[in-house]
Amino acid sequence: MDNAVTTALAVLEKQLNRPLAAALEVCARCGICAESCHYYVADPKLDHVPAQRAEQLRQVYRRQHDFIGKFFPTWVNAEDLDENKLERLAEIAFSECTLCRRCTFNCPMGVDTPLMMRVIRAMATAAGKAPEILVMLADSAIEKGKDPDMFRAMFKEQIAQMEQELRELTGNPEATIPVEKEGARVLYVALAGAHTILPPAIIFNAVKEDWTLSLYEAANYGVFLGDTARAKAIAGRIIEEAKRLKVEEVVVAECGHACASLVWDAPNWFSETFPFKTRSIVELFAEYIEQGRLHLDPTANPEPITYHDSCNLARTSGIYREPRVILNAVAQNFVEMTPHGLENYCCGGGGGLVALPEYDEKRLRAGKPKADQIKKTGARTVAAACENCRLQLGDLNQYYELSVKVTALADLIVKAMRLPEKIAMSVAAE
Amino acid sequence: MSTTITKPDQVLDLKGLLCPMPIVRLSIAVKKAGVGAVLEGIATDPGVMADVPAWARQSGNELVSIKQQGKEYHFLVKKTK
Repeated sequence: MDNAVTTALAVLEKQLNRPLAAALEVCARCGICAESCHYYVADPKLDHVPAQRAEQLRQVYRRQHDFIGKFFPTWVNAEDLDENKLERLAEIAFSECTLCRRCTFNCPMGVDTPLMMRVIRAMATAAGKAPEILVMLADSAIEKGKDPDMFRAMFKEQIAQMEQELRELTGNPEATIPVEKEGARVLYVALAGAHTILPPAIIFNAVKEDWTLSLYEAANYGVFLGDTARAKAIAGRIIEEAKRLKVEEVVVAECGHACASLVWDAPNWFSETFPFKTRSIVELFAEYIEQGRLHLDPTANPEPITYHDSCNLARTSGIYREPRVILNAVAQNFVEMTPHGLENYCCGGGGGLVALPEYDEKRLRAGKPKADQIKKTGARTVAAACENCRLQLGDLNQYYELSVKVTALADLIVKAMRLPEKIAMSVAAE
Repeated sequence: MSTTITKPDQVLDLKGLLCPMPIVRLSIAVKKAGVGAVLEGIATDPGVMADVPAWARQSGNELVSIKQQGKEYHFLVKKTK
């Protein structure tokens, strides 16, 4: 047995807890999961049935753990893991499943097929069979955490420029984007780039939030690798920063996997109850609206707008009411997709797939159910509270010629705040 | 960071791309390039100012220079292995 196979099998053994063993053993082969998977809906073939994907790992499990599988493997369709099989498993887990969990929600037995896909990802990563790009992105993020002085000065300089832009946009000379402010109530963890910093900054300043911006980005590519050590190192940068600054809560940008990993996975990785709350910025925005702290004009967004539920926000984190609180406050014509919320179809870009150009064609074909859903709404704008989803929706827009605009919730809120008009009115009043 | 090399062998237009795509494109281009090749990247996502130095350290390639020019971010990297 070669090293890669031995390493992969060792990971399988290490991760074989009761939930995984149950997922590997209880499938009734009813096939209900087929129609729940966007890959199958886009292209109905056996390889796209979640149970069939899981069966590839089950064959290996039976060879290792089933009594008959150990001695008479062909009787129970058990199979040895070899390098070819490992590569095929990696291909399935990284490019034919986005870990969206729709199959789990629709399985009468609650079989967690994405859990099995995560384990395959972990096996492949340990064995050096994971996509290089995901490994590079995870390791670059870890490198940033090792030495924040490498970029701290440049980052603060950029934020100072952004602060000027914020002041011009809001007409408020005192509007700020604080960085590393000790004792702030909220530590906001954005993504790389101004588009997830400036709109929330406008909103935070409007409600007079006591906030500070994280040095780090929320994205966690360790999660996509199924690699807890890497995922923990990436999340650890933010957790340490939150402790150092003594904040009350950590608020994660509009990003599905980043929110799910920091809110739900991190406390388990660190076996710790953090001295701060963690939640999505979507929940905080909805809270501001429900508390009447934001003055919004829905006529600023008059066109039909639909909302794509990120799988990590809706199915994993239960955040499907809050986006609708926001949309009903900022849009004049909010139209639901069918299905939506917990039953929403994955856009096809989850699980790190949007960052893997080698799987572009597969990813875009798997996004057909989402493209069809969008078309049926007649919406001209699609909002999504996840960066990966927005990147995928942008690509689907071109590929399927949807002629829609893809936007974040924060952008719609800012538009409904009608900033330039307010500035014009205040100038006229003087 | 050295500043002696200024002429790139390849220019990557990364304008309009959002994180993580500038680093993804850079990484793919560097992989295809020969050892010693110098690549220039031009991006509009300010995230590259932190991400490119981290990528260079992690990948073992040399970041020759990185600077902001108006709304654009220009960097030079040299493939070292």
